[in-house]
Amino acid sequence: MLYLIRKSLGKTVEEPGKNVPAESGHFSPKPAWGRYHVHYYGFALLFLAFDMEMAYMYPWAVVYKELGIMALLDMGVFLMILFLGLIYTWNQGGLKRQ
Amino acid sequence: MSQTVYWIVTILLFTAGVYLLAVMERWAVYGRLELTYPVKSWLSLLGQESVTPRKLDMVFYETAPLLFITAALLAAMVLPFGQGSPAIDLATGALFINASLAYVMVAVLMAGWAPNGVYAMVGGWRFLGQLIAYSMPIVMAITATVMRAESMALTKIVDSQQGLWNIVYQPVGFLLFYLSSMALAFLPPFDLPVAPGTLAGGVLAEFTGVRLLIFRVGRLVLVMTLSLATTVLFLGGWHGPFLPDFVWTFLKTLAVAASFFGISRFAVRIRYDSLLAWSWKYATPAALFNILWVGILLLL
Repeated sequence: MLYLIRKSLGKTVEEPGKNVPAESGHFSPKPAWGRYHVHYYGFALLFLAFDMEMAYMYPWAVVYKELGIMALLDMGVFLMILFLGLIYTWNQGGLKRQ
Repeated sequence: MSQTVYWIVTILLFTAGVYLLAVMERWAVYGRLELTYPVKSWLSLLGQESVTPRKLDMVFYETAPLLFITAALLAAMVLPFGQGSPAIDLATGALFINASLAYVMVAVLMAGWAPNGVYAMVGGWRFLGQLIAYSMPIVMAITATVMRAESMALTKIVDSQQGLWNIVYQPVGFLLFYLSSMALAFLPPFDLPVAPGTLAGGVLAEFTGVRLLIFRVGRLVLVMTLSLATTVLFLGGWHGPFLPDFVWTFLKTLAVAASFFGISRFAVRIRYDSLLAWSWKYATPAALFNILWVGILLLL
């Protein structure tokens, strides 16, 4: 029914210049699908390390209370190593726009 | 309550919620309270011309709006409105929310890539950076609620908040989840991919007519889903005196959504590099601290 409403309401009229992507009135000299310098690649690398860690975190969180202090210490050591990595990156100036 | 009735009530409440959110957004942005506004606006978008940009990537262009709304709806499926049997009671509900909401980023990046326009492309890449900023705090905040409930099932997480809501038990986690949710739904302090005023609409610039309608409704569905997730994970879900459980969840969800729109009205857009730097310098350590905090409280 929505499709019929849509059909009855209006149709697309072909006009010159209508289908040009918005770019402040200019025609784009080249396609936008070029190589693009992603300035946040340092964060992206950090993100990969932490994202992998989350895969361990979920099952750990479920059995945490059962295992008690051992679970806290195990994950604590693991997270401390990752956290040192974060601090090292920060120290080396990785946490700003490259 | 039987399964069928539950489904009908859930779908009706969710639809009503999305409609009210549309009214609320209009109210927050333009200061006008019009109850019929969503109908008028959606019908006008339905009748609008569907202009497709030249030299586009057809597959991405058609898929992006549908993927966007599907991702938000998938996450909404596992969130329980009331006691008893939720729509789908997954044992891994908390993980499933994350997994499905990750596709929001994919959809926005596809929408940025597809029209072959420079502004849209920049918006898409910005949102990828935004994902790197918001996803760690949001995931770690969810993990801390899982620790308390000893289960990833969302009904168990709500049950664990019987005595004390998670917003009191782990306020840092709530704050991180709240802000990350706003970033996920690209609401104004974090509206980098659309950025009206600098990117001329960004990823949504080249979408018109029905596809834009799906994006607009999808964004409201996403805000509704995230408010519902905040309610379930941190605001005690259906717990509350006097009123039936459905009503409590619904009211809390609307209140969270209203606060989202209220804050975004007065917030200033932040730069994506500041967002990334603040996220990794302050939010991620705070999220780790939150996990430690909950861990110590659980052992006491």
